[in-house]
Amino acid sequence: MEVVLLFTMVIGLLLIGVPIAVSLGLSSIIFLLAFSDTSLASIAQSFYQAMAGHYTLLAIPFFILASSFMSTGGVAKRIIRFSIACVGHMRGGLAIAGVFACMLFAALSGSSPATVVAIGSIVIAAMRQVGYTKEFAAGVICNAGTLGILIPPSIVMVVYASAVEVSVGRMFLAGVFPGLLAGLMLMVTIYVMAVRKNMPKGEWQGWGEVAASFSDAFWGLMLIAIIMIGIYGIPGVTGAIFTPTEAAAVASVYAFIVASFVYRDMGPLAAREEGGKPLSLLQKPQALITAFFHPDTKHTLFDAGKLTVTLMFIIANALILKHVLTDEQIPQQIAGAMLSAGFGKIMFLIIVNIILLIGGQFMEPSGLIVIVAPLVFPIALELGVDPIHLGIIMVVNMEIGMITPPVGLNLFVTSGVAGMPMMKVVRAALPFLAVLFVFLIMVTYIPAISTYLPTSLMGPEIIVK
Amino acid sequence: MTAHQIKRTGFTAFVHGLEETAIAVLLGLMTLVTFVNVVLRYVFNTALIWGLEVTLVLFAWLVIFGISYAFKVTAHLGVDAVLNIVSTPARRVLVLISVAATVIYAILLMKGAWDYWAPFAGLDATTGRWFPTGFAESRDQGWYETEQIPIPFAKAWLEATFNLGEEYEKLPRFIPYSILPFGCALILFRVCQAGLRVVSGTQDTMIVSHEAEDAVEEVAAMNRED
Repeated sequence: MEVVLLFTMVIGLLLIGVPIAVSLGLSSIIFLLAFSDTSLASIAQSFYQAMAGHYTLLAIPFFILASSFMSTGGVAKRIIRFSIACVGHMRGGLAIAGVFACMLFAALSGSSPATVVAIGSIVIAAMRQVGYTKEFAAGVICNAGTLGILIPPSIVMVVYASAVEVSVGRMFLAGVFPGLLAGLMLMVTIYVMAVRKNMPKGEWQGWGEVAASFSDAFWGLMLIAIIMIGIYGIPGVTGAIFTPTEAAAVASVYAFIVASFVYRDMGPLAAREEGGKPLSLLQKPQALITAFFHPDTKHTLFDAGKLTVTLMFIIANALILKHVLTDEQIPQQIAGAMLSAGFGKIMFLIIVNIILLIGGQFMEPSGLIVIVAPLVFPIALELGVDPIHLGIIMVVNMEIGMITPPVGLNLFVTSGVAGMPMMKVVRAALPFLAVLFVFLIMVTYIPAISTYLPTSLMGPEIIVK
Repeated sequence: MTAHQIKRTGFTAFVHGLEETAIAVLLGLMTLVTFVNVVLRYVFNTALIWGLEVTLVLFAWLVIFGISYAFKVTAHLGVDAVLNIVSTPARRVLVLISVAATVIYAILLMKGAWDYWAPFAGLDATTGRWFPTGFAESRDQGWYETEQIPIPFAKAWLEATFNLGEEYEKLPRFIPYSILPFGCALILFRVCQAGLRVVSGTQDTMIVSHEAEDAVEEVAAMNRED
């Protein structure tokens, strides 16, 4: 019964505008002080250990940093150019290119709102110029942006892997097929709509433009290769080179080098005035040293740091709540109740879907995962649901939660980016939301979409109960 | 939302710069140490044995220090869906309750942080379960050391002051843990400041609704013309 009180307190505090982290933390602290003999000192200890004791979570600041360098570095623009060169000539081409660009950018960054801002700000304006309606443009980007948490590397997956102790590498691999499938389904939908409504199509600019734009975007796209090859090695040549955490750190150093010395959109070599040419390293060799201390570098580090802080504050408090739940044996109680009620695998997955769709609207996805994953994980094992598959289901649910009215996060971001009222974005997003729902059902009931790649590359998974 | 548009001058500008630099430097150091360790392992076949532990400590420092900054500039995430649909007076009441809740949280965390850290530094933890009621003699845990981190300097002084002159082989634990009382005191301070701003009406709420709020404002103009 006390647990109902706990959750009522969390949700109540959340709704009246208390920061998410504080809602989780304060409710847990009050619960622990009132109903157990835990001291405040040990709560402070778990707070500190949330960072210092979780090697897996250490990947989060590094992934955030890598994507900050990449988005400061004007990579978004280059990716969009490459996407337009590839698919822009089709009917509805610019919209399809927008989805494609979101998928590529999602592979560089781990966050959905960041993807919407980076790609949406440019693509929505471009789409309107060539004659698409603003609603259509906003609907496309709003949905495609959610791929940010599904296509690896993904911060939400790191959090899930850490919460239930599965391998981050497996989670990332498991996200590859679903990510591609979701993108493809969105593209096909757009194409069908475009043909029926006779939407604009662009000019085929020739293979020359494809090659030129690819070589321009190459250094940015290499980041994906570094992360993937780093974590998994080249099949047949080397084994894994880094842990995912190290891969993330290497990726952020790489992104720094690309942004300051190759693209030179930031740092000491950047062009001084708008549209000017960046300096070459030969003109200013001291940049090799000064780049590390340049205000742009500091600013990017600071931005990434600030984002890490707000995210980890939530995760650290969610971990305290998780301790409360496991101490109280809540997962076992729920599992018992569900099993004795005779719920099977399908019913269980539907319940998980519903919980996450509702929760995903209000809560920051990583915090929600920390709380819900340990609750449903033991039941999933009991029912024979694969942990990796469960992880992907949770991520896809969270994705859809972000674009489900009334309070989906991506809807807010898109309404800001496109300068449209919320309700218009909601209506614009609906047709694509339906597509993602079909996708969710496929991912939920066809485990092979998620588990095929990790199982075939990394061998079958050993599940320890 | 309004907080970071405040003009800062003199001392406050200096502190603001210091906080931002600290956040940037902590994250930069974490990245460099991890990166250097990877390079050492593959190129020179060696490693900084303390690299991982230092990175994790820096991670904890970054977050616990940064929380207070994020309260100052109102960067913590929250749900404003309800606040946006209720009437203005009701909204005001809810926001004030949320301020009170946040202050209580910060006080409890502060007490916990002190109670946890104090014994490691040879100081006394407070008594009382919810609120500090006094100091109690606590078992001295000054001799606890970190796993691998060497002592860079002031070894003799540390030993004499915190370990009854006994030798420390590694950095004593109270040093990395010191971020707890320090960071939590800052959190309490910034939360109170933000609370006062909300009460006096110069700040709207304690929260932002999503992480990209600044970035959205920057690009919104691109699509706003109709």
